[in-house]
Order: sequence, then structure tokens, then C-alpha cells
Amino acid sequence: MSDEPQTIALGPTAADNPAAGIDQSSGNFSYDMKYEFDAGSGLNERTVEYISSVKKEAAWLREFRLNALKTFQAKPLPTHWATRDLENINFDKIRYYLSSGQKPKRTWDEVPEDIKRTFERLGIPEQERKFLAGVEAQFDSEAAYSNIKETVAKQGVIFVNSTEALREHPEIFRKWFGKVIPTSDNKFSALNSAVFSGGSFIYVPPGIKVSHPLQAYFRINAENFGQFERTLIIVDEGSEVTYMEGCTAPKFSTATLHSAVVELVALKGAKIQYITVQNWANNVFNLVTKRGLAHEEAEIKWIDCNIGSRLTMKYPGVVLKGRKSRGEVLSIALANDGQHQDTGAKMVHAADETSSNIIAKSISVGQGRSTYRGVVHIPRHLKGCKNNTECDALLINTNSRTDTYPAITVRGDRHAVQHEASVSKVSEEQIFYMKQRGLTEGQAMSLSVNGFINDLARQFPMEYSVELKRLIDLEMEGSVG
Amino acid sequence: MNQTAAETQSHAGAFTPAAFAAHLATQPAAPSWWLERKRAAHGRFLDLPMPRRTDESWRFSNIAGLGLDSRESGAQAPRKARPAPALAATAALAFIDNRLERRGRLSPELARRGVVVTSLAEAAITHGEMLREHFMAQAQRLGSAKFAALHASFVGDGAFIHVPRGVELSEPIVIVHTGSGSPLFPHTLVVAAENSRVTVVDMFLPPGGGGALPLAVGANDLYAAHGASIAYAAVQDWPRETLSFQLNSTVVRRDARVQSLNVHLGARQARHESLSQLQAPGAFSEMLAVTAADGSQEFDQRTLQVHQAPNTKSDLLYKNALQDGARTIFSGLIIVDPDAQKTDAYQSNRNLMLSDDAEANSLPGLEIQANDVRCTHGATTSRIDPEQEFYLRSRGIDATRTSQLLVFGFFEEVLNRLENEDVHAALREMISAKFRDRG
Amino acid sequence: MSLLEINDLHVAIGEKPIVRGVTLAIRSGEVHAVMGPNGAGKSTLAKAVAGHPDYAITGGDVLLDGRSILDMEPDERARAGLFLAFQYPSEIPGVSIANFLRAALQARLGDGEELDASAYYRRLYEKMDMLKIDRKFTSRSVNDGFSGGEKKRCEILQMAMIEPKFALMDETDSGLDIDALKIVAEGAERLRGPGLGMLLITHYQRLLNYIVPDFVHVMHEGRIVKSGDKSLALELDAKGYDWVKKDLVPA
Repeated sequence: MSDEPQTIALGPTAADNPAAGIDQSSGNFSYDMKYEFDAGSGLNERTVEYISSVKKEAAWLREFRLNALKTFQAKPLPTHWATRDLENINFDKIRYYLSSGQKPKRTWDEVPEDIKRTFERLGIPEQERKFLAGVEAQFDSEAAYSNIKETVAKQGVIFVNSTEALREHPEIFRKWFGKVIPTSDNKFSALNSAVFSGGSFIYVPPGIKVSHPLQAYFRINAENFGQFERTLIIVDEGSEVTYMEGCTAPKFSTATLHSAVVELVALKGAKIQYITVQNWANNVFNLVTKRGLAHEEAEIKWIDCNIGSRLTMKYPGVVLKGRKSRGEVLSIALANDGQHQDTGAKMVHAADETSSNIIAKSISVGQGRSTYRGVVHIPRHLKGCKNNTECDALLINTNSRTDTYPAITVRGDRHAVQHEASVSKVSEEQIFYMKQRGLTEGQAMSLSVNGFINDLARQFPMEYSVELKRLIDLEMEGSVG
Repeated sequence: MNQTAAETQSHAGAFTPAAFAAHLATQPAAPSWWLERKRAAHGRFLDLPMPRRTDESWRFSNIAGLGLDSRESGAQAPRKARPAPALAATAALAFIDNRLERRGRLSPELARRGVVVTSLAEAAITHGEMLREHFMAQAQRLGSAKFAALHASFVGDGAFIHVPRGVELSEPIVIVHTGSGSPLFPHTLVVAAENSRVTVVDMFLPPGGGGALPLAVGANDLYAAHGASIAYAAVQDWPRETLSFQLNSTVVRRDARVQSLNVHLGARQARHESLSQLQAPGAFSEMLAVTAADGSQEFDQRTLQVHQAPNTKSDLLYKNALQDGARTIFSGLIIVDPDAQKTDAYQSNRNLMLSDDAEANSLPGLEIQANDVRCTHGATTSRIDPEQEFYLRSRGIDATRTSQLLVFGFFEEVLNRLENEDVHAALREMISAKFRDRG
Repeated sequence: MSLLEINDLHVAIGEKPIVRGVTLAIRSGEVHAVMGPNGAGKSTLAKAVAGHPDYAITGGDVLLDGRSILDMEPDERARAGLFLAFQYPSEIPGVSIANFLRAALQARLGDGEELDASAYYRRLYEKMDMLKIDRKFTSRSVNDGFSGGEKKRCEILQMAMIEPKFALMDETDSGLDIDALKIVAEGAERLRGPGLGMLLITHYQRLLNYIVPDFVHVMHEGRIVKSGDKSLALELDAKGYDWVKKDLVPA
């Protein structure tokens, strides 16, 4: 098989346009690694079987993967509604599995030096010392480092990678694995189901409020390498957990594919908050399927911030299966030159007195394009359901672009559903006022933009909201003039 | 061979080449360019496929109900004929079975000034240039290209209204369309020259004596030149079993304004497409609709507001009240081109649900490529406010009447936009009649 | 002569009991004032008697001229002669005052009877003039965009046109400045007469300067803890509600 990287002309990118000053320096490096297990490029049954044997998976899981592969091959790209840029993904040139063959590490000291260096540059040890309950760090799709802090483990919380979870705790995870997002949901969930590796599987027993947010890091560090992590979080009755996901990746001249699946299950009275700050480099296709299943009186909240990537398609959703359950999606998207953030939310009401709330704010800079797609569905014979959707778009430059495509279906006369969207630019009066007080145009713009997203940004944990502000400042400085 | 015939059957229904030839034979006086257009349209009609469930522009529609066989589908209960309200008018036209049957006299003064209220057949001869330029001249962007082609090929006669430069008509031009059972293809073309003013009211009424009407494919084109003002109101009150299409296209030039208000009452399945193009600075298009849906009716409304120049404005307000097992679909898109800075575009869809089996679908959309704009859209689906309901009940007003008052209150916000009081009253009366018929 | 009897009425919102056994009788021509601190259940009492769907009757009865009204719909109770002047009157966009009142009056006529339009408008203007409401308001939507004072005046206008047997006035004076209160209270007082029984729910004494009550009842935690004549209101005003909580509630 050919190992030649393919060069694709990508048009104006954030690198060519100083306006797009995303701080890439922290992720813009790669190491020359020797990979012990290598499945080669391209996707076929052999690749899938290889992945399954390397992981020493049970027969049912191998079957699952192979069936998923068939589904992936049969489904067409969804270009009848999604962007045709998807056609630039060359599935045959991607490497679907790559690992240093190392088992997950218990303590930081046991981690090999070169891998340690990668994570040290990303600042993981510091954060682990300060705030986090545990870190599951993924390096080229196998967990190179994992450490579950004693308190979390003592609470009975299980926090492992997907392979370990399905091998050591099938009685907990198999029940829900692939049930919230079936393989056939879309072409990319099928792809993930065939080749997934890494990701976090978490189980929180009943009556536990996990005190610290759980977190994981990802990296892509080889040409033509795709990340296919699979996350499944099950929170039992009355329990609560917050999970944070943030990632960086180096930049290559060939397209990189990230196609994750995240399934959340909140049992009766449980609460799950899932926070993502996505800052992939501008050549990454980020196609993620995320969905939660909320049982009676449970609550699932997706807090999603998309700043990077060439194309992100992500529509976090909640199926409100139990009475009085609540679903929420708070989303911030920033699209700069060469970027298309195609994000939104899906709320499916399937029980009485359920409520859903969607707030999506997007900022389009330069020739960036942001798109909102939403689905709200309230079927027959339910009562007392509510939905509120608000999407606001801020267009910074004259040729920035935004699209909004919601679809709302309501049956019956016992519900209240409201959707509002607006598009505007930064108020010139506001900018003049701030300049009159001595701020530069760039500073004024970034204050304005931060004001626009403030309500949402406040919901992010502090370290993220600081990083977010910094990123926006850089974007705005470049966009002016 | 069988399959091809079947395909052709589903693509053409009753409107085969043979049927088309028969239709052409009824137009002996038509100019050749007009006949050429019709032939081209029929060719397009035969080529284009029927809508599919996966077409974005037909999302949520009942595709199965779109058959073009002109036979009736099942027995229907004859409806009481509702009389058309009387309206003082500048001029009036009545079309029966696609032919102009009655014409109310236009005053000699107005005729002298160049006002034209006539049939398409006459206009094709006397105002050929204007027809060539404006008759169905805009591209079909909302999904009904096949049905637009059907209309263009089978249109028998329609209304042509031309108001010359600077002429202002204070009273409306009233057009009534009805038939005795064969498919109808009503058409209204309004060309308002610079700084003119006109009000046009289109009424689509059921056949007298409560007869059936399987299919109606209507279209209207509104063209407002520099500084012109058109107020257009249409009431669709076809019988219960009709499959109805209304395809509207509006072009607004510099500093001109067009208001179009559609009242939807009849048909078993009605598709209404409305396209507004704001082509020059100062243009303003107001798109309004009021739908009273009951039984198992389906009202499918697709709109497009396209801002192609700076400093233009559009404002859409579509309100639906749904009873029994009715369904509505509202899909509205606002497109702002990159050069259309200082656009103001608004869109609001409000659905009032009055029963547990009703279904409302809203797809409000935006594609914005200019940044110095004010664009908002909103969709709200709710039931009658229980506090308001209790308030009326506490005054002794019973449940049915309370519901009616509140639904009328709901519609009033839209009807209030009409400047002509007589037209307002007439429309209100027609809506009331539908509610009265429910008992 | 009519009689409205509230017998040992218990009212709850969902699971929560609010009115815990209130007994009260109002005859035509009588004015009763019900006072009490916030949360005493005064508004709940009025809304429950009028048939508001949010409130559940968990015990007791309400009789109008000897007949229980608890199984009657709100509009039936209204047509039987009950009127509720709301604390927060609803806005009804698109429904004009003229049409609204017309519908309310038409509802009380028999089948086939039609309201005489000119007589109706004559009466309507007469009442509007009395209440100093601009005649142009007939075409305004009910309460839509009205100030607090305008809304309360509109309630009294409706009462004047409908001529109920019993008027339950729920904090009619709340949110009004001195001038607005004067107009509203004087308007209501003008409607007082042998054919009307009034239940005034109020927090403050000042309304009662205009509409002097025949009976005053003090409510606390869902029950009437003391009844008296108009001097009780003055005593309450002087001593405050703490007096109620300390001295009037049985230990």
C-alpha cells in the first residue's frame, strides 16, 4: 500500500491569514515515534480484525465492529444536506489504528519519557495536581497514561478506556454500549463503531456526586491518522458527574479525520454535564456524534465550544425518555478563514413534562462560516413539554457568513415551544464608545465579542473560560483593519 | 414497457401530451410565442420528477397526497356554498373554469389613463411585451418547478392588471376564480409601473352548489417598479377535497413596496410558495398569512425572502391555528447576499394548537452573507394561554366562543396590517364563516 | 335577594393546602372586606370560588342561592352571577374591548335573542365616561399595553356592564397611585347597591375609605381568625399584621 501523503490545496487558511491567530504553538509539533502496532492505511475487514485482535477483544465485539464496517461502506456521504467538503476526505489514505502498544499507566512516573514530554508541554501534570480527580490521557489512540485518583476510585467510580471497560466490566457497559447511538445512526457513527479505540468509559454508582470534574486529553500525532475515540458515561440514580474534554493537534498538509462517538446515560434523577473545548488545527475534519439518554427527572447538559478544525459537524442531542427530564445544549462556535462550524442540537421529547433548552452563539470572522442545525421533536399524546431555543450569530467582517436551519415539529396542544434567532454585527457605537475611553479597535472588538458570548462562557469551568477569552482576543486582533 | 408507462402516468397524471394537445386546441387566438412557451413548459413538466420524501424542499410534506390524476379521491360531503362577500371595487373579474366569464366595468377615466384590467388572453395580444417580460419570469426556487410548469402549460385564462406610471387606485380590483369540477389554473399578474398604487384581491371559491374540485394549480406574479405600491390579498377557500397549489413570485424594485396577505381556509392539502426578491435599495416586502386548519387538512407553506441589494427590508408574519388532526408546515428562508448591507429582515411563524392531534412543523432558516444587517426569525408553537382563557370564561363566555374569540384575536395581528378596512372586514367575514360551519 | 355561602372551604395548589376551612356568607347589598398578610390565602379564596383551574377544592362547599357551584364551569358560574375582578388582568391582543364585552353580554341572552347594538354602545359609553375611560378605548385590545391603573379601571368597566350579583375584587387597589385609586374605588362604590354583594380583598385600609365595608374579616394562614365591622380594619391598620399573628391566632 502506498504511504505517500496526499497534498490537498486547502485554499486560504488560518495560517496564511494572520487574522486567524489561533494559538497553535502549544500543539504545533510532532515526534518521530516508533509505533509497535500499525494497521496500515485504508479501511477493510483486515484492518478491523487487526484492531480487534490487538486489543484481545471478545467475539461479540469483533462481530460488532465487522457489522459496523459493512454499514459504513453501504451508507453514502450526507452531502444532500451537508457540505460537499466531506468529499475531500480520502478514507483510503487514513491510518485507522496506531499505538505505542503500551498498557495504561497507573502513575505519572511510569510513563515513557518521550510521551511524557508531549504531555508536559500540554500542561497536564500541573492540572492534575491542582484540580482534577483523574486524567485519562490518550496518545495516538491507546491510553498512554491513566490515573484515577483514590477518592474517585473509592467512591466506586469506574473510569477506564473503552478496551478495558468492555473487557473488565461488560456487565455494566455492554448494556448501554451502542444503544444511545446505534451503529447505523449515520455514516460516521458506523465508522467509529468499526474502528473505535481509546476514549473514556465511566460508571458512577447510585447516590454519588463526583466532586471533581473528570477529564481526558487527545492528540493526533501522525500523518493521515484519524482519531476514533468512543466514550460512554453511565450515571446511576441520583448521581452527578462533570466530564471535560479538550484537545489540540499538530497541523499537517493532508486532511485528518476525527470521528468520535459519545454516549451518555443518565438514570433516574442523575445529572451529567459534558464540557468540550475543541481547538483542532485547521486541517482536521471533526465529525462527532453525541447523544444522551435522560431518564425520569434526570438532566443532561452539553456545553460545547468549537474554535478549531477545518470542518466540524456536531449536533449534541438529548432523548428525553423519562418524565420531567431536562436537556440542555449551550454552544459557542467561532469560525475563521477556512473554517466551517456546522453545529447545533437535537432534542427529542419522549415523555410528559420534559423540557429542553438550546442556546447557540456563533461568531464568524473573515471568510469563516458558521451554521446552526437544530431539531426539536415533540410527538403525539404527550403533555406539558417545553422547548426554548435561541441562536444568535455575530458577523465580524463584511464577508463572514452564517446559516441557520432549525426544524421544529410539535404535535398536540399541551406544549410551549419557542425558537428565536438573530444575526447582527458588532455595534459601531459600542466600539466608538470604548475607543473614546482609550481602547484600541482590537481590544474594543474583543470586549464586544466576549460580551456577546458572556452568558455562555460563564458556564465553562474557569480554566477553560480563560483560555476561551484568550483565543477570542487573538482572533479579534487579527480580524480588524 | 409497463413500467415506463406507469412512470409516465405518475409523472403526468391526467396531463398527458394528448391532454395538452386538447388544451392547445382551445386557444386558437393565442399568439405563437405564447403557444411556444406553453409547449416548452409542458416539456419541462413531463421531464421533471415528482417530489420525493428526501427532497429538502418537501421535508415533512405528505408526498403521497400529490397525485395528479384529476379524478376525485373518494366521496365527499357537499359543502354549503359560502357567498363571496361584496366589496366595493374599481374593477372586477370573474373566472369560471379557466375562462373569463364576467367583467366589472372599469371607469372610462381610468381606462383613458391607461389602467388595464383584462384577461391574459387579451393581454397576450395587446400587451405582449409586458407579458413576455413578467409572466412567470422568475425561477422556481421553492420546490414546485414541476407544478409551475404544469400551470404554465395548462393555464387557460387569468387576470392581467397593469397600472401605469403615477396612477393611484383607491379601491381594490377584485378577482373571483371558481369552477364546476375540472382542474383550475388561476393566474393573476400585476405590473405596477413607477409610483403607482393598486390593491388586488383574489378569491378562490368553491363551485356553486357544493360541487367537487380535485385540483387547482394557481400562480401569481407581482411586479412593483420604482416607487410603486401593491397590496395583494388572496383567500383560498377551495372545497375540502381539493389538492391546491399557489405559487407566488414578487419582485420589488427601488423604493417600492408590496404587501401580500394570504388567507388559507380550504382544500385537503394546500401548498403555498411565496418568493420575494428585494432587488434595489429601499425595497420593502411584507409577507403575511393566516391559516385556519381543521379536520385532516394539510397546509404547507414555503417562503423565501432574498435580499439582493443594500437597504432593503422584508417582514414576514405567518400565523396558523390548528384544530382536530390538522397539519401545517412552515419553511421560511431569508437569504442576504454579500452586497446587501443594511438589510432588515424579519420572519415570524406562530402556531396556535387547539387540539391534541394537531401537528405544526416549523423550519425557519437564515443564510446571511452580509454583516451589517438586522435579521431575526422566530417560531412559536403554543396553546391558548390558560390565563387568557380563564379570564374570558370568568366573564360568562362559554368554551367554544372563548376559543373563537382568542383565535380571532390571534389572527387580528396579521389582518390589522391591511390598510383597506373593507378588505379587512371581508376577510374577517370569510374566516368567521369557516368557524361557523364547524358549528 | 341573593346569598353566596362559602362553607368550610379547603383549597390546595397541587399538594399544598392554602385555604384551610373558610366560612363566609355574603348577602346582596353587603360589602365584606377580607384582609391579611401575604400568603394568607385571600387571592386563592377568590380564584377558587371563581373556578380557576390551578386550584383544587379539597373540602367544603360554595353555594349560590342554595345551589352548589363547585361542579359548574367558570363561565357557568359567571353567568350565574359571579364576577372576579382580577389582581393581574390578562392582556388579550387582537380582541377589542367592545367585542369582548359584547360577547360577554350576548352569552347571557337566550338562544335567538340578539343584543341591541345601539343600546349596548350607549350603555358602554355611559360607563366609560363615568370611569373616565376615553371612548376610543372601545377599539383597543383588552388590557393590551395598558398601565396598571388602566387595567383596573377596565375591570370595573366590565363589572359595570355585566352587573353581577356578587363581585369578588382581588386586590383591586394594588399597584395604583393615589389618583388612580380614587377613580377605581369611586367607580366601584358607584356600583354598590341592594342588588350587589361585594367581597373586597385588600392589603391596605385606604381602599376601605372609599368603599366602607359592612363586615371585615382577617385571614391568616388559610383561615379567618377574626371578624368584625369597619373598625376592625382601622385597628388592623394601626396595629399591623404582627398583631394578627401574635394575638389573634389561637395558641
